[in-house]
Amino acid sequence: MNKGFISGMVLLTLGLVCGILLSVVNYFTAPIITEEENKIKYATLAEFYTLADYDLSEVEGDGAFGTIYVLKEKGTDNIEALVYTVSAQGYSDSQLVQMLIAVNSDLSVEGYKIVAHQETTGFGADIVENNFNVTVIDNLTNFDTVAGVTKTSNAIKECFTLVSQRAVGDLGGGLSE
Amino acid sequence: MNKKENFLKGFIKENPLFVSLLGMCPSLAVTTSLENAIGMTMGVFFVLVLSNLIISLIMSNPKLAVLVKPVRIPVYIVVIATLVTIVEMVMHAFVIDLYRALGVFIPLIVVNCIILGRAEAFASSNKPVDSLIDGVGMALGYGAAIMLISIFREFLGKGTLTIWGDLQLNLTFIFNFLKIEPIAMFIQPVGAFLAFGLILAGITAIANNHKNKLAKEVTNNG
Repeated sequence: MNKGFISGMVLLTLGLVCGILLSVVNYFTAPIITEEENKIKYATLAEFYTLADYDLSEVEGDGAFGTIYVLKEKGTDNIEALVYTVSAQGYSDSQLVQMLIAVNSDLSVEGYKIVAHQETTGFGADIVENNFNVTVIDNLTNFDTVAGVTKTSNAIKECFTLVSQRAVGDLGGGLSE
Repeated sequence: MNKKENFLKGFIKENPLFVSLLGMCPSLAVTTSLENAIGMTMGVFFVLVLSNLIISLIMSNPKLAVLVKPVRIPVYIVVIATLVTIVEMVMHAFVIDLYRALGVFIPLIVVNCIILGRAEAFASSNKPVDSLIDGVGMALGYGAAIMLISIFREFLGKGTLTIWGDLQLNLTFIFNFLKIEPIAMFIQPVGAFLAFGLILAGITAIANNHKNKLAKEVTNNG
């Protein structure tokens, strides 16, 4: 028989055996991997809500919005809360200020967190916790720009403004009813 | 060569890292902490031992060997890649922190010269039992080498020794006693080359010394 054909058959057989072996291993490890990955992915969300109490789904946002997490009451279609991933230009050119903002269905803000930024060390993420107290999403009047870190605080303000514009539509009458 | 020699040669005489200088890229990259080195050792151990065994089983069967011989390198790579993928999946599922710390260097075990080197140089022409012993010896020798580098780097760079997870030896008191700071450079890439060079120089000096002594003894006796 042709030598090339035999070599091909050897490799084919080996490939099949290895493929079956890998799919068996994958069958057992894949669910565990998904669970572990979700744990890490939702670690920040878990700071705002007890995730086991809700049905969690994801919507891809457009423009400045990244993933939007939708938390529904278990077993129903009522949206209890939305967690927005939103970014805006701060001081750094290479990395936008990226925030997670959790908004309840009554438009109150459950919490917010800077997830990525490259602002000046010592300011950036810190100023949110120290200077802003946003409790209701459609009231941004107590939101002052901080002197010295104008660009950073403007970025944070822009994040909130974008979310406030969008959340009113999403929660007020659009998605939830 | 008896079984004991076969096992021990991987540690000093034919140490894959310090003598053969094989598989240096992942070794330098993951040795930022002792924990990473231990994880890498476990991965390499599993892959090297099993690949040696499987390849030796295939090649010691005369009928199979004739079929496999023309395409042996692809066969080795498929066997090794399958084992590495299994290691990757299992690590991803059960030790995700380590999986993230080792990153791209887990899949790169496939092209680690040590494993392909042992398959071609030893396992393909030796009995399964000998190949198994060779694999265990070589993997442990490699592990000892990268652990030595990582202990050197982590201690000098951070003043700690992370064994596994939260199990960590804090040795910063030594630095406090000497009133100096840990040398952070050693956990950066440049520190890897420096650490490796220093350890290699030390080992070569000891080896040369040993050789000279042996040579002297031979001349004195002769």
